[in-house]
Amino acid sequence: MAAPLLSLLQLADSQTPIGGAAHSFGLEGLVSDQDLTVDDLQGFLIGYLEEAGRLEAIFCRRAYDLASSPDDSFAPDWVRLNREVSAWKPARESRVASATLGRRFLRLAMGLSDEARLHAADAVARTTGCDIHQSTAFGLVGSVLGWGIDDTALACLQQNVAALVSAAQRLLPLGQTRAARLVWDLQEVIAGAACAGGETACFTPWLEVASMRHPALTTRLFIS
Amino acid sequence: MFDWDSERARTRLVSRETRPPLQVVRPFDLPDGSVLLHMQNVAGGVLGGDLLDVNITLNAGARVQLTTTGANRIYRPRETDGPAVQSTKLYVGAGSLLEYLPDPTIPFASARYRQTTNVTLGDGAGLYWWEVLSPGRTAHGEVFAYEKLDIAASIDTEDGSPVVRERSIVGSHPQPPPSSRAPSLLPQGDGQELVSAGQRQALPLHLTFFPSGRRGSLRSRLGPYRYLATFYAMRVGASSIELLDAERSLTDLAMELSVPGETVWGVSALSAHGLIVRGLSRRSHTLNASLIAFWRHAKRLLHNEDIVIPRKVW
Repeated sequence: MAAPLLSLLQLADSQTPIGGAAHSFGLEGLVSDQDLTVDDLQGFLIGYLEEAGRLEAIFCRRAYDLASSPDDSFAPDWVRLNREVSAWKPARESRVASATLGRRFLRLAMGLSDEARLHAADAVARTTGCDIHQSTAFGLVGSVLGWGIDDTALACLQQNVAALVSAAQRLLPLGQTRAARLVWDLQEVIAGAACAGGETACFTPWLEVASMRHPALTTRLFIS
Repeated sequence: MFDWDSERARTRLVSRETRPPLQVVRPFDLPDGSVLLHMQNVAGGVLGGDLLDVNITLNAGARVQLTTTGANRIYRPRETDGPAVQSTKLYVGAGSLLEYLPDPTIPFASARYRQTTNVTLGDGAGLYWWEVLSPGRTAHGEVFAYEKLDIAASIDTEDGSPVVRERSIVGSHPQPPPSSRAPSLLPQGDGQELVSAGQRQALPLHLTFFPSGRRGSLRSRLGPYRYLATFYAMRVGASSIELLDAERSLTDLAMELSVPGETVWGVSALSAHGLIVRGLSRRSHTLNASLIAFWRHAKRLLHNEDIVIPRKVW
């Protein structure tokens, strides 16, 4: 890969055609219950990053490392890793959204690169019926395309937060300038979550309940 | 350890080994062939440094209802005490059914507590399990005044497939002076909003509540709520269509029982074998009745059976 930075910039862009704009990951439920306002957003996103973001980064890094594992252990470990991610996501809509975006992201990368490991990851998921999550797909692609592990985890979370803020712009009176400022001010928290490592844990019951309640909304802008 | 006695069509206790402070009252036969077991902490609660182990095995076909005799009080430890730890391992063999219905966990001020619950489910096994986490002794003005809670749960099938993974690490520490905080990282609304004005005065050391080692507020995790309830309804082998139908049906109940801003309930099919019901509330008084309603409805959907409410003071 001649220029890993270019591939990272392209694939981590919020305009990457995998359908991320169709999901709010529970945010729409919070707004619908009138629990979340524009003024709450920054605090909410800090908490989100420190919990769910940190968890996503841990799995992104594990997938990154898995990319260089021996051929005979890669397939079962890849399936196991993605099943574990599914087990950490109790809210069905958010879990399915992660799996949809992960599968599309991997297939997009497969269409752009002939790396055998990407094809192997997709093939074993098809055979076993296991999901491919957004964080694990991102980690695998980042490793195969030569991005650094920290850059990969950072870009994964940046993309994640950008998608949430974009959803918030459609749900709340949040203008473009303030939205940009919001993401900008989260840089330190994103970096902390992306590189935290350590114990696997996640405490986001408020968002999870909102995501679980989302299918019951009578009118919805988002799939999740 | 429990077996299923096919001749008598009853569950029987095969072996029991208990050491204080945990004790079990003798099993009571229930009309549906299951047994009811009360687990009791004779110390009245969990003391600092306690290391408690619970292992329950249901062999094929056994049916057990396991509950407690009172709230799981996590007492304030001495400065020198290590964290209290409770480790629970539940094996639910093929075709067996466990209903695990403990009373709420109430962490006292300064409590340090780690709880792990690992469940393994055999083919066709069933599980109904709830947990309620209180913010503390609210009547004493202790709201999120514990030092650290680390609560983990896992559910796996016997072939090693992970179905549920949860771990919540929540703690509190005094709020740094406003001048030392970077404006861009200020949480929008902190734990103070969860505490009434009168209670705030009683808690000078815990004015703001942050998950341990992190900067975001507890409000960003719990919203305006204080109590967290989780209920799992499982039947290994249930199809994804059955689970989605059950999710829709239980969601109707969740919407009926929810009053946003006061109590909210959500229901979701897990990736396989069961469902999760999760609730958040400002107050505890409706949680138990709602959990029983979810249990009743879920058991009809997944096992086509009625519940038998355990004999105890709720």
